[in-house]
Amino acid sequence: MDIAPIFASLHKHRTPVALIVLEIALACAVFCNAVFIIGQRVAELGMSNAIAESHLVVISVNGSNPDTARADIPRNLAALRGIPGVTGAAVMTSIPFGQSAGVDGVSTGPDSQVHPGASRYMLGEGGPRVLGLRLLKGRFFGPGEYADSTLRGGMMPNGHVVIITQSLAQRLWPSGHALGQQLWVGSEKHYAVIGVTADVARPGSSSIGRGSAHYAVFFPLAPDPAFTQYVVRSAPQNRQRVLHAAEAKLHTLAPNMVIKGQTFAQIRDQAFTATRSMAWVLVLVCLVMLTVTAFGIVGLSSFWVRQRRRQIGIRRAIGATRANILRYFQTENFLIVSLGIALGMVLSWGVNLYLMKHYELPRLPWHYLPVGALTLWLIGQLAALGPALHASRVPPVVATRSV
Amino acid sequence: MLKMTHLSKVYRTEVVETYALRDFNIDVKEGEFVAVTGPSGSGKTTFLTIAGLLETFTGGEYMLDGVDVSGLNDNARSKIRNEKIGFIFQAFNLIPDLNVFDNVEVPLRYRGMKAAERKQRIMDALERVGLASRLKHYPAELSGGQQQRVAIARALAGSPRLLLADEPTGNLDTQMARGVMELLEDIHREGATIVMVTHDPELAARAQRNVHIIDGQEVDIAEEPRFQAEQAASSHG
Ligand SMILES: Nc1ncnc2c1ncn2[C@@H]1O[C@H](COP(=O)(O)OP(=O)(O)OP(=O)(O)O)[C@@H](O)[C@H]1O
Ligand SMILES: [Mg+2]
Repeated sequence: MDIAPIFASLHKHRTPVALIVLEIALACAVFCNAVFIIGQRVAELGMSNAIAESHLVVISVNGSNPDTARADIPRNLAALRGIPGVTGAAVMTSIPFGQSAGVDGVSTGPDSQVHPGASRYMLGEGGPRVLGLRLLKGRFFGPGEYADSTLRGGMMPNGHVVIITQSLAQRLWPSGHALGQQLWVGSEKHYAVIGVTADVARPGSSSIGRGSAHYAVFFPLAPDPAFTQYVVRSAPQNRQRVLHAAEAKLHTLAPNMVIKGQTFAQIRDQAFTATRSMAWVLVLVCLVMLTVTAFGIVGLSSFWVRQRRRQIGIRRAIGATRANILRYFQTENFLIVSLGIALGMVLSWGVNLYLMKHYELPRLPWHYLPVGALTLWLIGQLAALGPALHASRVPPVVATRSV
Repeated sequence: MLKMTHLSKVYRTEVVETYALRDFNIDVKEGEFVAVTGPSGSGKTTFLTIAGLLETFTGGEYMLDGVDVSGLNDNARSKIRNEKIGFIFQAFNLIPDLNVFDNVEVPLRYRGMKAAERKQRIMDALERVGLASRLKHYPAELSGGQQQRVAIARALAGSPRLLLADEPTGNLDTQMARGVMELLEDIHREGATIVMVTHDPELAARAQRNVHIIDGQEVDIAEEPRFQAEQAASSHG
């Protein structure tokens, strides 16, 4: 189809064309960015967390008596380990995706300019094995290192060793020599890095999707009232049963405490509630936007076909086939949508710049643009098809009959 | 060139059946200039739309250039309209969104002609009608006579064998009508077959042959006593 005369005709109807072009541009910009963000959210749902998630249940225990807590912990752990199917149990101050026990600014020395925030995990003896931490370098804590490390009034353990995640190691010692270095917390305390583990997620959900999502430090800690999380390990198929048995057991042992058990899968699921609903909201926004655009195109095309009924008849009378008429309107739509897409690309880029500046979003990868363009072309062609078919059925006799 | 035998055309609406043409016969030879006259509502436009394949007919036979058109599909009919027939309408029927050049180009584009040849033909046709200087004008910027000349150029550009004109001067004043008529006579002299519907007895008289339609039937003028009265009535009304 020859586009020059179609352009000439569109030029004569600048105002409605400009409006629909703007609508398409807006839809294109919103769509490209929304798809990008949806893609990111979906990727976040699969965020890595190098612990044995499917094997774990977590019982949080609150309101323990500080005076007896230190003695209660070994008793409770022994009871939990006695449950059939349980292959390990340990205490922690917090757990990945669960409630946070604190974030520290960590660095390689008191003068360092780099001090990212990292989540603090304090583990009781046996914790690394129960969690299934994957050691990449170094070693786990020895029994003496647990016994040596207490809170004794402060917030920070007074031990001397830590294990850190790979991401954090990479951030602090980009050259890769984390092992044996001193990890500074604030400007006074420092600990020797004795191990580097595969990336474990931080507590909560606020760091999801960020570069710092896996910045975590593991401290050994002797039994302490700060331990509120009992992590119990079993085969995945025994999880539910172990969960109920563990809750019941702790309940009989400590009737005054608030006990709440969850499988780790549930905890993870809750952490991503916001991420999931955000993705769905964006999917909805896209659908609404595209539907509105499609209806806009249908409306305008129908109006134009009605308005140009006589012109169509004339074209038919002087030799246009039905296919010619159909193609005319589809081509016209293609041109309008293309103008909208061209403008939409610029707009997408602008929206992305804005989001990058205000919402820590990465740059929109270029390949989202053709995805947006194809989607709008397709929607445009489909939306124009009805009116175009209608136009192709205008009989040639209209040229002589209607005035 | 154009031969209709026992042709009928019925318009059916929910309430009535109108015989716009009834047992209609006509034979237009190649190279003839025929004027079709008749009172309003007698079926002249109906005849022309069927002759030009804009509409189908209800009964009878129509041979166009030796081809029985009743068996043709929509695409074949479009192709014949495009290549063999030129239309000139009372209401000019230019496309308002396109300028003069683009208007004349429309049928040539449907023919799939190369740009260079299109341009040549458009310029020749516009030269013929004396509007070569108005290429960039839009229909709304032209007088009625000029618009009709553009329409004639559009019909001419495709070098049709058959030119069908439905009251081509009906919307024009006498002077402009005369100009258009002279143009048609020129075109006829160059070999085109022309069938023109007109209410104007003066123009009809300039054709080689007159066909008179009354109530959907062709009547022989000599044998038709009502002719004088009809003719007088229609030319005043
Ligand atoms: N689409 C249609 N539906 C129903 N009846 C129609 C239709 N078109 C034409 N007619 C009828 O057919 C008859 C012939 O109409 P036609 O337009 O051919 O007359 P005409 O001779 O061209 O008249 P005029 O001189 O006024 O242009 C008229 O009675 C008209 O009402
Ligand atoms: Mg008529």
